[in-house]
Amino acid sequence: MEKNKQPVRVSTVLIYVFFCFMMVLYLAPIAWIAMTSVKDRASIYKSPFGWPTEFHWENYAAAWTGGKLGIAMLNSLFVCGITLILTIVIGSMAAFAIARMKWKLSGAAMIYILIGMMIPVHCVLIPLFVRFANIGLNNNLWGLIIPYLTFSLPTCVFIMSGFFRSIPNELLESACMDGCTIYQIFFKICFPLARTGLFVTGLMTFIGNWNELLLALVFVSDANKKTLPVALTKFVTPYQTNYDKMFPAIMIAIIPTIIVYSLFSNQIVDGLTTGAVKG
Amino acid sequence: MDKLLRDKKAIILFVAPALILFTVVLFIPIGTSFYYALCDYDKKTMTYHFIGLGNFIRLFKDKTMFIAFKNSMFFLVFSCVSQLIFGLLFAALLTNITKGRNLFKNVIYLPCVLSSAALGLLWAFLFHAKVGINNLLGAWGLPQPAWLYSTSGFITLPMWVIAFVALWQYVGQSMMLYMAQISGINKSLYEASYIDGATKKQAFRYITLPLVKPMIGTAMSLNAIGSLKFFDLIYSMLGDKTENLKMDVLATYLYRTGFSSKGGNHYGRASAIGVILVALCLIATAVINKIFKTENYEM
Repeated sequence: MEKNKQPVRVSTVLIYVFFCFMMVLYLAPIAWIAMTSVKDRASIYKSPFGWPTEFHWENYAAAWTGGKLGIAMLNSLFVCGITLILTIVIGSMAAFAIARMKWKLSGAAMIYILIGMMIPVHCVLIPLFVRFANIGLNNNLWGLIIPYLTFSLPTCVFIMSGFFRSIPNELLESACMDGCTIYQIFFKICFPLARTGLFVTGLMTFIGNWNELLLALVFVSDANKKTLPVALTKFVTPYQTNYDKMFPAIMIAIIPTIIVYSLFSNQIVDGLTTGAVKG
Repeated sequence: MDKLLRDKKAIILFVAPALILFTVVLFIPIGTSFYYALCDYDKKTMTYHFIGLGNFIRLFKDKTMFIAFKNSMFFLVFSCVSQLIFGLLFAALLTNITKGRNLFKNVIYLPCVLSSAALGLLWAFLFHAKVGINNLLGAWGLPQPAWLYSTSGFITLPMWVIAFVALWQYVGQSMMLYMAQISGINKSLYEASYIDGATKKQAFRYITLPLVKPMIGTAMSLNAIGSLKFFDLIYSMLGDKTENLKMDVLATYLYRTGFSSKGGNHYGRASAIGVILVALCLIATAVINKIFKTENYEM
């Protein structure tokens, strides 16, 4: 293998050059948002790609209050947080029952839930909207939480059932000997043991719902209940666009995700891949 | 032990919340949606009249629907082909290097986790008719196309722009899937082939490609469904302008028919579009799986 090293080198260098170019292609737009977000409107139009000559940090304050981003962010946090907790609890309960408990219909239940992954949300948009309007769930954050929860469950059940299957049988048996009930086995042993899985599923659920636009756009029209992605689209009106507010708003929206992603990128990437494959 | 795991009460308690949610929020509404698709919705009395296939016939003759369908099909084909080529290329190149592999991988995947609504605003600015990229092109004396506002051609320029933006944002997903598959291939296969005198190119052609094939089916179906559902990016880049610009895709047309103030609340017709969308998803998945169906080789 040592001998092979010499000729490989040129191609390896080319690969590195290629990926450095890709890095620029991927990072430059994001760096550029950061740069533009501190320019005033005149210099955005005059030299959109130039280095900012003066820093207008008040853009951020203007975007925050003008676009109601504070409320939008709280709404998003509330919706995604509750969805996250409910998804993890309900999803892993179902996953445990499907993966470890013995009943005839467990396979059928798994298929039933996995079908949910194939169905685009567009199909149920209108019936859900009509139903929710009838029972007063439109313009209500819970009206977002319920569909988000339902559409997050399949991935959660799929990933968590894999984790529960990998827990050794002996562990459950010894717990049983010690007189644990089935509920204690689940909540005190299996649930804590599957922490890694819960973490990955949680992150994925949160990020997915944090970015969701269509449902949020349709179900909520009250300005004080909009989520972050919806609030963002309001920065572009048909006749004018406040670019000096829009760029800080984009930054505010993507910085939390970028921070979370850079902290846990490996787990997220692995989790999203397993979640996407699902056989 | 066995008795505990067969505890009916516990099983029901564990599974019931998920199954009930699924039935009430997903499966019953799907049924309702199919029913609505066959109905005409009267806004004033808020009632539904059964009109059979009327909605579908109307959509069939509808010009905007034709544009939306054409654009969606374009997205579907473009994303399947481009994501296959670039995803596989990135994955194959990345598995060849060790240093910095994680960094490159994570950076290319980054846009997948960012909000399409936010990134759409960014790209809408970059492709603005006067500022953005055109500013640079103007400075260099190059022609300045009206990126997002051109309406000529069968597949209009804005469609290409948005398709490339979508490729930029989501290629990381395909790359990850292919990488997972490639790194699962046994290294001894390659070593054996090199001993037999194979070049890297040949190894890729005769070892990597056939062994990656099952994943191509999976990744491509995901792309297909994703591109049929495509909404966020196009909505945040063009907003309500999609109609005038002949830029509708199925999802934006559904949204406008059902909910926008301009389009009115034609729930019946919007449901019909939803049904068509689901049917297309199923057909696309079936076709792709048929094409890429292979037995899984022992690796």
